[in-house]
Amino acid sequence: MFEFEAYGAVRDFIELGGNVLLVIAFVTAVMWTLIIERFWYFRTGHKEETHRVQRAWDSRDDHSSWNAHQIRRMLISEVQQKLERGLNLIKTIVAVCPMFGLLGTVTGMIEVFDVMAIAGSGNARGMAGGVSKATLPTMAGMVAALSGMLFSIQLDRFARDESQRVSDQLEIVHE
Amino acid sequence: MTALVMPLSAFAQAKVDAPEAGSLEELLELVRQGFQVEKAENRQRLTEFQRERERQAELLAQAQGNLRSLENLSQQLEETYNTNEGKLGDYENRLTEALGQMGELFGVVRQVSTDLSGYVFASLTSSELGGRRELLDRLGRSKELPSTEDLESLWYELQREMTAQGKVSRYTTPILTTDGQVEEREVIRTGPFGAMSGGKYLLWEAEEQKLRELTRQPPSRYVDTVEPFAATTTGFAPLAVDPSSGSLLNALTDTPGFTERINQGGVVGYVILSLGFFALVLGLIRWAVISNTSRKVEAQRKASGAREDNPLGRILSVHEENREVDAETLELKLDEAVLRESSNLERFLWLVKTVSVVAPLLGLLGTVTGMIQTFQAITLFGAGDPKMMAGGISEALVTTMLGLVTAIPLVLLHATLSNSTRRIIDILDEQSAGLIATRAEHGNV
Repeated sequence: MFEFEAYGAVRDFIELGGNVLLVIAFVTAVMWTLIIERFWYFRTGHKEETHRVQRAWDSRDDHSSWNAHQIRRMLISEVQQKLERGLNLIKTIVAVCPMFGLLGTVTGMIEVFDVMAIAGSGNARGMAGGVSKATLPTMAGMVAALSGMLFSIQLDRFARDESQRVSDQLEIVHE
Repeated sequence: MTALVMPLSAFAQAKVDAPEAGSLEELLELVRQGFQVEKAENRQRLTEFQRERERQAELLAQAQGNLRSLENLSQQLEETYNTNEGKLGDYENRLTEALGQMGELFGVVRQVSTDLSGYVFASLTSSELGGRRELLDRLGRSKELPSTEDLESLWYELQREMTAQGKVSRYTTPILTTDGQVEEREVIRTGPFGAMSGGKYLLWEAEEQKLRELTRQPPSRYVDTVEPFAATTTGFAPLAVDPSSGSLLNALTDTPGFTERINQGGVVGYVILSLGFFALVLGLIRWAVISNTSRKVEAQRKASGAREDNPLGRILSVHEENREVDAETLELKLDEAVLRESSNLERFLWLVKTVSVVAPLLGLLGTVTGMIQTFQAITLFGAGDPKMMAGGISEALVTTMLGLVTAIPLVLLHATLSNSTRRIIDILDEQSAGLIATRAEHGNV
């Protein structure tokens, strides 16, 4: 019974908010998938990658020549690329979510003015549908953006710190 | 002597037609005779005048007599009028007394008939039961007491309307199709709420007293309920019904469609759309090119020899060509090659970015021009009629919407594009040198 109620509540919410809300829901789902994937990678794949790079560097005898410098840069960049994969997209989605909210506001207001053009300004009940379509996506866009923003900042800092740590670990011998 | 004669002669001369006087004696005689004649004439005139005066007095007396008799008559008539007036009032009082409750009934009948007439005019049931308005209008207008038959038929019509509203019925009636023809069709009417025919919703046109096919049907999930409903003969079937008896369906007809909506955006809207389309096409082409390049670069990383079909391969070939040079020169050459490749990779990215930034700004521009229109309309017509302002407001909102609709996919596209190009450039920048170093070492070993 409870699942049905929850489903009904979500359906009512989507119906009140209109199509834009569906798009926001989809984009937010994509964003959260990316965020969770990143956390998962940081916990599992990244450690393996660090070990691999460390082993590759340690297995070299030469830690000072031009070649060594270039190889070190290559190893660090490989770690960095894997760390930062998808982060930009998360940040972009965080930036785009309020725009979706604004889009919802505008489409909702268009509906309000359609009602006004047909039924005059006296029909408050008719306009209410458009107003809910204007306000709900705005709110949803904001909530999605804010929730994503906290984690995107976190992930960004973690990626930067980790690549810095790896580059510190691969020591160069100066002669 | 001469002094006396002069005037006399002058007198004689004046009377030219008088007989000539031969001497003074004769003149005297003439004058005397003249006197006598005039005297007689005067006397005659006097008598005539007196006779005339007597007749006038007689006429006056007669007129006065007339006046008196007429005054009498008028008084008499006034009295009759007053008594009649009194009697009339009396009779009227007696009439109202006699009518009593009947008078109220008369008023109620008139009011109910007028109300019902208006209701029936607008009601969907009229498509099935025609010819009810004549009776109702007659009852509503008549100044006489309604007859028993009239009262009975009014009661019958009220009851019939109620019964008809509670029923789902099928009947054949002429309807106006979307191409303006009048056709006899089988119609299903669900109470006073809706009518359908051939799987489509109909609207009651009160002015023409005909059903009209909706030019724009509601969304398919509503229209799809019609056919199964029409096929159902027993039991229950779900059906979408307009509870406002047609005004919602009517509003649907008035809502602009997709193209009309875009046309509302005006010139600014077209500019936004064409810019956005241009940038989108260019971005998608770049996306295809870059993902292809990216795949080739990945393949190159695993391959042994340098291939010329990808940026990494071209950079590696720079190294192949400069095997003998020292490390610093090689690095400079590599940097130069990377710079060349990266400018090639980033081609048109700026355009996608710019359009994604400019589109919302253009939307804002449209908002402002639309609002200017709205305020001009307010200046001309006042703020009382929202329909006058609707044009400007829809332009304002539609351009904003178009700006956002254009910008959002471009922002996402640009993010993806710049992500992939940055990855490739990173590979070129950092990995190419690393790969060369690895190869050099392996070669050395």
